[in-house]
Amino acid sequence: MFEAYIQSYNEAVFETDKQAALEVVNRALAEGYSPEDIVFKPVIPAVEAMMTLIENDPDANLAQHFMTAQIAADVTERMLEKFSKPPEMIGRVVIGAAYGDLHSLGKRIVSGCLKSLMVDVIDLGINVNAEKFVDAAVDEDAQVIAVSAMMVHTATGENGSLRVRALLKERGLEDQIKLAVGGAPYRFDPELYAKVGADAWAPDGVTAAKVIVQLIHEVKHDAA
Amino acid sequence: MTPLEILAAAASGAPAPRIPIFCNLLDQGAKELGMHAKEYFSKGECVAEAQLRMLKRYGQDNVWSLHYVGKEAELLGCKEILFADDGVPNVADFVIKNLDDVATFEIPADITQVPAWQSIAECMSILRGEVGATHPICAYLTASTTLPSILMGMDKWMELFLLGPFDVRDELLRKCSDFFQQHISALRAAGANVLIYSSPFGSPYFVGKNIIQKTVLPWMRRDLQPGGVDDVVYYCGMAPFNEVIELVFDELKIKTHHISPLADLAEAKRLINTRGLTCGVIDDIKMINWTEDETRAEVKRIIDIGKPGGHFLFCNGVMPMTVPEANIRGMVEAAFEYGRLE
Repeated sequence: MFEAYIQSYNEAVFETDKQAALEVVNRALAEGYSPEDIVFKPVIPAVEAMMTLIENDPDANLAQHFMTAQIAADVTERMLEKFSKPPEMIGRVVIGAAYGDLHSLGKRIVSGCLKSLMVDVIDLGINVNAEKFVDAAVDEDAQVIAVSAMMVHTATGENGSLRVRALLKERGLEDQIKLAVGGAPYRFDPELYAKVGADAWAPDGVTAAKVIVQLIHEVKHDAA
Repeated sequence: MTPLEILAAAASGAPAPRIPIFCNLLDQGAKELGMHAKEYFSKGECVAEAQLRMLKRYGQDNVWSLHYVGKEAELLGCKEILFADDGVPNVADFVIKNLDDVATFEIPADITQVPAWQSIAECMSILRGEVGATHPICAYLTASTTLPSILMGMDKWMELFLLGPFDVRDELLRKCSDFFQQHISALRAAGANVLIYSSPFGSPYFVGKNIIQKTVLPWMRRDLQPGGVDDVVYYCGMAPFNEVIELVFDELKIKTHHISPLADLAEAKRLINTRGLTCGVIDDIKMINWTEDETRAEVKRIIDIGKPGGHFLFCNGVMPMTVPEANIRGMVEAAFEYGRLE
C-alpha cells in the first residue's frame, strides 16, 4: 500500500505539482503512516531520484529545480514537527550569497534540498562577507561553507570565495571545513571553481545539494 | 558601407564586405573615464562618452545606451542600487516587498518624466547625434515575465509565477507589460534601433516549453504588439533557447536571435537559416582566463560555424571587467579578420 503513495509522490514531484505532493502526504498520514515513514521512504528517495534525473538531463529546467526543492523542504518541515524524536542530521552547512551579491534563488534551491536530506542549513542570507562565512562555520561546527554567486565579480572577486579560502588556510581549517560554490558564472566556465579556491561546484541547485552531502561525508570520513 | 548598412545587409542576405561585429562593453565605461561606478552611471553624458571612446578604440559596429539592468527598477521606484567598482550594479531595494504591494504598485504615466530616465535620455541624445546616422544604437528591455525578478527578487517571483496566487501574478504581469510597452516606445523615440528583448522566462532553461507556450508567450505577444519586432533581438539572458526558436519565429515573428554560448550554435544557425539573423556569442567569462590566442581561436570557431550562408553576426555576452584588454582587442580584431566576406 505504501508503495502506491511513494509512486504518487514521485509523480507529483516530477510534475512539479506541489499541491498533489502534499495531498499524497496528507492521505498517507490519515492512513496512519508515521511522519518518519513519509520522510525516509518517499521524500528523500524522491529528492535523490530528482537529483539523478537532473544530473542526467541537461534540459531539466530551473522551475523543476525550484519546485523539487520547495516541495521537499515544505513536506520535510511539516513532517519534522511531527517526528516522535528529532532525526539524526548527517551534517551542517553554512550557506549564503557572496559579498556584493543580492541573489537568493540559488541558495534557496540548495537549502530546500539539503533540509530534506537531513542536513542542518544555516542560512546567512545575501551579501555575506568572507569573515562571516568562516566565523559562522566555526561557531556552528559546520562541515561545509556554500557560497552562491550569480555575477562574475562576486564569484571571482577578492572578497568572495577567494577570501573564504584564504581565511580557511590562515586559520588551519581546510581539513575541517570544505568550500562549495555555485551560480551562473560557474556554468559558463566549469574550471572557475578551482580558480576561486573552492573544493567543489555544481551546475544547478539540486546537484549542489548532492555535492555538499558528499563533502560532508568526506570531512566526517577524514575526521574519523 | 556603414555599420548600419552592414547590419541591414546581414539581416536581408544582401552582399556586404563582412559580417556585423558587435561588442558589448557595458561595465568598462567607468574605468575608461577613471570614475567610480556610481558617479559614472549617474551621468548619461559619461556613459555616452565612454561608449564613443571605446567605439573609436575597437572599431566595432555598435554602441549601447544601457546603463545597468536595475535602471528599469529605478524607473519603477527602486531607491537603492548597490554599485561595485569591479562589476555589475545590483538592485538593493525591492519595490515589491510582499504580495500586497502588487495592488498598489503603479506604472508611471510617462516614464520619460521620471528622474531615472534623464540620464538615459541624455546618453541617447549624444549617441544619436554623434553616430546615430551610421551605427546601430543598442538598448536593453526586460520582458514583462522577467521584470518582476528585479522588482521583488528572483526567488519570490519564481514562487509567485509557479505557485500563485495567479490573479496577483497576472495583475503584476499586466503592469509590467504596460511598462514594457512604454519603455520600448520611449527608447525607439530616443533613437535606439537594436532592441535587446531580455526574456529569460522565454528559455526552456528557466521553465518548461509547455509553460512558455501557455503562460509566457501570451505576455511576450502583448509586450511586443505595439511597434512590431523588426528591430527586436530575442535574448534569454545568456540562457540557451534553441528549442523555442521555431516558436519565436511562428508566434512572435522575431527574426534576430542572440544564441547562448551554452547552446549548439550550428543547430541554431540551421534552425534560423536565411529566415533571420543568427548572433553567435563568445563565452566572455572564459575570456577572463584565456590567452589572446585562445580568444582568437574561439572567435574563428564561432565565425566558421556561422558565416557560411550569411545572415550571421558576431558578438560577445556581457564582457566581465576582469577580461584583459588584450583579449577584447584580440576578439574584435579576429572577428574583423575571420568575418570578411569578400
